[in-house]
Amino acid sequence: MNEPDRSKLPIRRNAFGGAAARTLQGCEPDWALIDHVHPPVGAPNVLVVLIDDAGFGNPSTFGGPIDTPNFTRMAEGGVRYNRFHVTALCSPTRAALLTGRNSHTVGFGSVGEFSNGFPGYTAVLPRDCAPLPRVLRDNGYSTAAFGKWHLTPDGQQGPAGPFDRWPNGWGFDYFYGFLGGGASQWDPCLAENQKIIGTDPAFYDEDNPYYLPDAMADKTIQWLHGVRAQDATKPFFAYFSTGCSHAPHHVADSWAAKYKGRFDQGWDRMREEVFARQQQLGVVPPEAELTPRHEAFPAWDDVPEPLKAFYARQMEVYAGFSENADYNVGRVIDAIDELGELDNTLIFWIWGDNGASMEGSPTGTFNELTMQNGIPLTDEMQLQLVERYGGLEAWGGDMMDPHYSAAWAWAGNTPFQWGKQVGSHLGGTRNPMVVHWPDRITDAGGLRSQFTHVTDLAPTILDSCGIPAPDEVDGIEQEPLHGATFADSFTDAAARELHTQQYFESVGNRAMYKDGWWLAMRTERIPWVLTPAALQPYAPGVWNPDDDPTELYYLPDDFSQAHDLAAQNPEKVEELRELFWAEAEKYKVLPLLATLGVFFGIAPPLPEVSTFEFRGDVENVLAGMVPRIYNHSYTISADLVIPDGGAEGVIVAEADHLGGFSLYVDGGRLIHTYSMMGVFLFRQQSDVPLPTGEVTVRMEFAADAAKPATGGQVTLFVNDQPVGGGRMEHTVPIRFSGYAGMDIGRDNGGVVDLSYADRKPFAFTGTIKKVVFDVKPHLALEDEHAVHLAAQHGQALHAINA
Amino acid sequence: MAFDEETIDVLIGGYLSKDAAMEDYESVLECGGYLHGAVVVTKSLEGELEVQQTDHMVREGAAGLGAVGFVVGLFAPPLLAATVVGAALGAGLGKLAHHRVADKLEEQAGATIPIGGAGLIVAYPHSAADTVEPAVTRAITRAVGEAEGHHVQALKGAIADAQAKLAQSQP
Repeated sequence: MNEPDRSKLPIRRNAFGGAAARTLQGCEPDWALIDHVHPPVGAPNVLVVLIDDAGFGNPSTFGGPIDTPNFTRMAEGGVRYNRFHVTALCSPTRAALLTGRNSHTVGFGSVGEFSNGFPGYTAVLPRDCAPLPRVLRDNGYSTAAFGKWHLTPDGQQGPAGPFDRWPNGWGFDYFYGFLGGGASQWDPCLAENQKIIGTDPAFYDEDNPYYLPDAMADKTIQWLHGVRAQDATKPFFAYFSTGCSHAPHHVADSWAAKYKGRFDQGWDRMREEVFARQQQLGVVPPEAELTPRHEAFPAWDDVPEPLKAFYARQMEVYAGFSENADYNVGRVIDAIDELGELDNTLIFWIWGDNGASMEGSPTGTFNELTMQNGIPLTDEMQLQLVERYGGLEAWGGDMMDPHYSAAWAWAGNTPFQWGKQVGSHLGGTRNPMVVHWPDRITDAGGLRSQFTHVTDLAPTILDSCGIPAPDEVDGIEQEPLHGATFADSFTDAAARELHTQQYFESVGNRAMYKDGWWLAMRTERIPWVLTPAALQPYAPGVWNPDDDPTELYYLPDDFSQAHDLAAQNPEKVEELRELFWAEAEKYKVLPLLATLGVFFGIAPPLPEVSTFEFRGDVENVLAGMVPRIYNHSYTISADLVIPDGGAEGVIVAEADHLGGFSLYVDGGRLIHTYSMMGVFLFRQQSDVPLPTGEVTVRMEFAADAAKPATGGQVTLFVNDQPVGGGRMEHTVPIRFSGYAGMDIGRDNGGVVDLSYADRKPFAFTGTIKKVVFDVKPHLALEDEHAVHLAAQHGQALHAINA
Repeated sequence: MAFDEETIDVLIGGYLSKDAAMEDYESVLECGGYLHGAVVVTKSLEGELEVQQTDHMVREGAAGLGAVGFVVGLFAPPLLAATVVGAALGAGLGKLAHHRVADKLEEQAGATIPIGGAGLIVAYPHSAADTVEPAVTRAITRAVGEAEGHHVQALKGAIADAQAKLAQSQP
């Protein structure tokens, strides 16, 4: 067979090579016409594993305290990379990985939830940057993605699409996972291909409950078996992107219990222990120094003694959660091995799409959305809320959506400074990577120290598969790949370093790397602080980025960025600063802080739609697409048919007991429950039972003021007659949930009101004709603008923490 | 001060969990200081109200203490959950102080104690303050009121003072 022209995709079908006449007389078919495209001979299978929100110092494979036997197994059969880099945020790293181009160029300077009107921040993939799965698929690979996606704009995650922004549209034949930045591991609102399928029915099986990491591995193995059942030789590309170890940190207690007592020494001592092991393993060179603790992180010795168990439990659960991810990746690898294909499968396993996440703030939190909604809670408050929802032992279970303390995250990034969001430093950008490919790698257990970057994966995969990056896809000329192949380093520890220059930028924190030199330009805002005072220095007309403090490191001599050489090398500082601006211009990084533009008055237009109508069978409306009732007066009305003998069940419910609302009927009464992030819970009930027949019910919320988190009065109506109500002193200003969905006629997954938890999903036993939300605009346009801007602030806050 | 007058302190503590409130309640009972009474009021996530109390005040036969009023919700709705629970506590103390109004007070507490919240009220002679107050370590919000007078009068005044201080502490 002739080798096809792979430079233009889709690959053109060969011309008919047979003969056709008016009848079959003398005709000769060309059977190649019904064949499909084949990859180059010998092209390997490819498995990319991406762990979420984890640090260089987390896995035991790199000296960390978390047992990762499968990661180590791959390292001992392959090679470790100890100078591999990512962006400091989730979606940007994923976009760069899957396109081979810098994240801003492909519209992902920030995360999928935060799609805005600057080219580098649209969260919409340009058509001149065809992604890797599309290229592999068009070259004859079977492709599939499992787990976290986070590359679809927030408001485009329903049945109306558009689906070119979903995983199938990026070139994956099959997708099973979640579209957002995080998910409950117990009751995720799942997507399969182009449909939101909601919570798996196994969630309701108390004896054998659903758990996403297990299901991801199951689905991956099933998919591999299915592909092989059909075609014994077609190579596959599988992208296994865990929800772990992003918050919420969910894992069965049997996993967390393995770490009981192993973090009682605290984060300061843990860093020292990890650092010593890293040097023993050789993943950190002997001359490296452990960087000091920034004052933003409390010293362990300053933690009040009664709270130390609370903090230790946070890390025990995180560790168990992470080890479980290792276990499930191991199951997938075992399945490939069982197929007899491990030797010819090129595996990239990256432990963290960015550094470990500091978004739990110094206290850690029982519900990660409290921080994103701007609810300040002390560690004692957090502990009491933990007690409310089951105590320390329940941290990790389905009653909480926890995130650990920022100090644990910082320690997880040992030996570096900072972590996620901080693109200026290695704590946010340098993560462990292992490559395993027995057919090619002969130096099993070796260490590689070339400077490598997440944009290099696609070029390296294509290089290894013998597939060129296409010049043209669907008739559109393609932007060249920005990364460089490091395939030579598979077999040569001294292979020439090809990636010699790289910019970094996340939420204004930026760096410029060139030939070993690293210029760090960190905004002084602490990542988890977005108060007006913290933002004011970055306002347009106030902020001059060139006035930001600079730090200069020479990484070949200073692995951990412990020695700032800026003062001795002002010319190098200036050179790299200018180079950063040039790269920023070239790759669409500008304007800096576009992610936070809403804080400075750059908000999308006011929404024009204020009435939302749902028929009775609508389920699993994802979190970013529920009617935005926040900070407004609003009504929820429903047209019902109540049969003789009455009805019960949920009319409409959004999210769960950690933030959400439910309008339901129980004991014949209309009830409205509202959870302000699990901190405040409000419930109102009708004084009279519902009549039978055609009934209209309505819940009205009259906001006190046009301001975020406004309190107000709830009134319940049946057939337009007031039947009850009450005050809600505080409402959710930003977002009920990052991942739970809204349902009509039932409360899927974890429920809002725990009084009916034993009857979940508590489906309505009458008929719901429709449910209508009517969001009342504030009377003064300036108020409406102010609330809209506040909501957008919150959306940005949620987005950069997703 | 007249010979039959005294100074009573009332400590009101607000909590986000029953566990924390019960821990302080037990701690107060075991602190060794003399108590006029202590009551802890909790409301479960399902909305069920629970009251636990010592019987000191009942034992002292403080007839008429119901007239203290136990001013649930008399001040403006607070902004923090912790102060909400603090505000609610008068209801529990009311039940403790005067059984004739128990039903009403329980109803008030049911309406005022936030779901999932809890609160503690402790009444003690001012002379016991140095022993009692350090035993309360987990309250999210707390206020201590003080008043002089005849037993009932002092108690009423101390509660009112504590509640006023809670109200002032609202942001």
